Amino acid sequence: MPEQAPPDTHPSAGRYHGAEIMTVLKPLAVRLLTLVAVLFLVLVALVVTLGATGFSDRLLEAQIGEDLRGLRVTLSQTIRDPEQLEETLDVRRQELVEFYDLDQSWVRRLPATVARVITLDLGEARSLKSFSGSREVSDIVWDRLPNTALLLTTSLVITAVLGLALGVKLATRVGTKLDRAVSYFSAVSFAMPAWWMGILMILIFAFKLDILPSGGMYSTPPPEAGFLRFLDLLKHSILPVITLVLVSVGPYIYSVRTMTMTVAQEDHVTMARAKGMPEGIVNRRHILRVAAPPIVTGLILGLAGSLGGSILVETIFNWQGMGRLYFDAVAGTPDENVIVALTFVFTLLYVAARFILEVLYVILDPRVRYSS
Amino acid sequence: MTGRNIFKELLATWPGKLGIGLFAILVILSLYVLIRFPLSWGEETWSDPAQWADNPGAVPPIWSTALTTRADVPHRDYVVSEATEVRPTQSGELRTYTAAVDYDSDRPPTFTNFSVSGVTFYDRPPVLTVSLVRPDDSTVVLFRQPVRGPREDESAPYLRFHEDALRVNLSSQPSAADAVVDFMRDEYGARFRASELAQDLDRALFGVPDAEAPGGFALLKGTYELRLRASFQDPRDSLEEARFVVGGTVFGLMGTDSLGRDLTEGLLFGLPVALFIGLMASVVTTAMGTALGVISGYAGGRTDLCIQRLADLVANVPLLPLLIFFVFVVGSNLYLIIGLLIIFSWPGLTILVRSMVLQLREGQLVESAITMGASRWRIMYRHIFPQIAPFIFAQMIFFAPAAILAEAGLSFLGLGDPSIPTWGQILESGFRTGAAFLGYWWWIIPPGALIIITAVTFMLISLGMEPVVNPRLRRGR
Repeated sequence: MPEQAPPDTHPSAGRYHGAEIMTVLKPLAVRLLTLVAVLFLVLVALVVTLGATGFSDRLLEAQIGEDLRGLRVTLSQTIRDPEQLEETLDVRRQELVEFYDLDQSWVRRLPATVARVITLDLGEARSLKSFSGSREVSDIVWDRLPNTALLLTTSLVITAVLGLALGVKLATRVGTKLDRAVSYFSAVSFAMPAWWMGILMILIFAFKLDILPSGGMYSTPPPEAGFLRFLDLLKHSILPVITLVLVSVGPYIYSVRTMTMTVAQEDHVTMARAKGMPEGIVNRRHILRVAAPPIVTGLILGLAGSLGGSILVETIFNWQGMGRLYFDAVAGTPDENVIVALTFVFTLLYVAARFILEVLYVILDPRVRYSS
Repeated sequence: MTGRNIFKELLATWPGKLGIGLFAILVILSLYVLIRFPLSWGEETWSDPAQWADNPGAVPPIWSTALTTRADVPHRDYVVSEATEVRPTQSGELRTYTAAVDYDSDRPPTFTNFSVSGVTFYDRPPVLTVSLVRPDDSTVVLFRQPVRGPREDESAPYLRFHEDALRVNLSSQPSAADAVVDFMRDEYGARFRASELAQDLDRALFGVPDAEAPGGFALLKGTYELRLRASFQDPRDSLEEARFVVGGTVFGLMGTDSLGRDLTEGLLFGLPVALFIGLMASVVTTAMGTALGVISGYAGGRTDLCIQRLADLVANVPLLPLLIFFVFVVGSNLYLIIGLLIIFSWPGLTILVRSMVLQLREGQLVESAITMGASRWRIMYRHIFPQIAPFIFAQMIFFAPAAILAEAGLSFLGLGDPSIPTWGQILESGFRTGAAFLGYWWWIIPPGALIIITAVTFMLISLGMEPVVNPRLRRGR
């Protein structure tokens, strides 16, 4: 049973003092700990898989091979005798093998590998390059992160706003034709793969009607910096954002509708109405306020799906984010280092987004604070 | 509630009815596929371009003609295994294999192929001559080549083209273009260069020179004859079959992809694969989730804490990036993909089942079972599990579409099992080839639609299960 907080201590953001801050921090610390544990678990799973399959050995060998190639070019100018050159290179190889601990088993190297993944110190990519031409894996990934964040947050915010507005509206019209139509839509949207939806969008709006660009983030050549450039980005983002919103908004509307409906049937709402409170206040303070925490939970649960969806949607619309980078790294000559880095950064991104939502949840749900 | 009752209850609702109906259709189609296609079909047929070389690439389905004003050419494939004419010559005999082509389309064909397989000779190698006899009885010789003669270490009978057929694309043969240049000069007094005809040789083969018509040729409609003549020296010499293909602009029920693969077959084969992924993943996930949930809820204490912490962790992991990583590193294998899906999807059910078991544990049924001396395992298996079984069954069905969608997404990124074609892989190859930008709708819409239909089937059954799980929803009973 959701409890209504007494009016005099009714919490609202920005009003916490002293002891109250502690009651917020403790549950937050617990969530943070869980999420950090998730991150650590994923990290260990990554590194152990890399080690057990011999992948990390191959990565290091490739690194050594690259170092030696560079050395051979420089040395060949000073050492003329080919035999002596080979000898020098062999000595250097031995040094490098020891330096990278390649003579140790992968289990011994685990801590070092974990550290390398965390700092994204994963060497150079094979064929991929960053926007400025760098081949460092970390440069490539950091380049793409803002683009993914942009697409993901835009569509998440639109989904949340649309879901809230429509869900609350539907809750007052349960059983109408509109309500049923939205229920079917949310079922279909659950079964609809985001990427297929994206391809259909291209087929209809880019190929058949030819009114929107089929992919990329900017036209070629991109407009000068400033307002025109922003408009161009906006135009290119319409299809990917609509696709992401369409596939995630259905279930969300449905869950908001159900949550709001449940709360609207509670006794305290009837009581508020009986007291003669204006309908607007009843809706805002007595229904939505109480339904807010589970609605945030709905967002939390949808987050992993949106993240996966964005990987595929970026791929389809050639959106230069981390999702598209996955596709590029898998195709052609596989870029293992990039895949490792991407998986870690995606987990990091997910954990960070989760934590923001958890903070929101703790702020919104007084029970979490008072029970602790 | 017994199995039969559940089924009856399921059929009482319309989502249940529809779901069961669709599921029955999918299962029947899958059985048909399993009987008709060998399991190695993906590796041996689908992934082998030679098997599809005689099909036109990236053409829409036949029925699409009715929807457009486009002039279409039907695809024609003639297999001739009996000689239509045998004529004795000075040194042996001349066998003729012919195919009559009634050509009344408003467009030239997309290509003309000829292939021959199973040539056996004992003495001197036969010479193969392929020619086109046009409706006005003029003849163009398009291809002439002796079969490769015996090697030094070889002894009669000499076998040629028994394993791989000799396949000749007549439209792109330089010798054919030269022959057509000569033919046009002799027959119509028209002068062309071979290089200019080679661009679209079929237009010339099936037309007469006309400066005003598109491409410089007006179509000549009528009955053509494609003819293979083989000169055999020995009476025992033989030829298994000759094949002529006049490439169309439409093909089959579902069209073809850019390699000429028949999408009807690919889509059909994907059906049992999708059902297998869905059922396998959902059954194992449910078994695992339920077992852990029951143990966690009933045992309590440290076991409970461990299982719940683990479930918390696994439930909070971003699925797709990790799937991509593991499949990429360990290798694309269907069983591995299913296994990973199971590993990442059990926690939700475990958490739910545990909370149900916590309530049941305090109930009188369990209490009386304890007083009668039942063991813990017996209580969990005989007294707790049956009470939550219908709920679990409904959950199990719900896992199937999720697994099918996840596999499709993975395949779409190019990480599908290469030996087993799935709908996701068909979509992926379509996307990589640029089908969406070229408007090849028949390559893109059907696989996605099939994924959705399959997923919705499971969801409908799950919806129909609601009255079984939640008895308050049962009407009038």
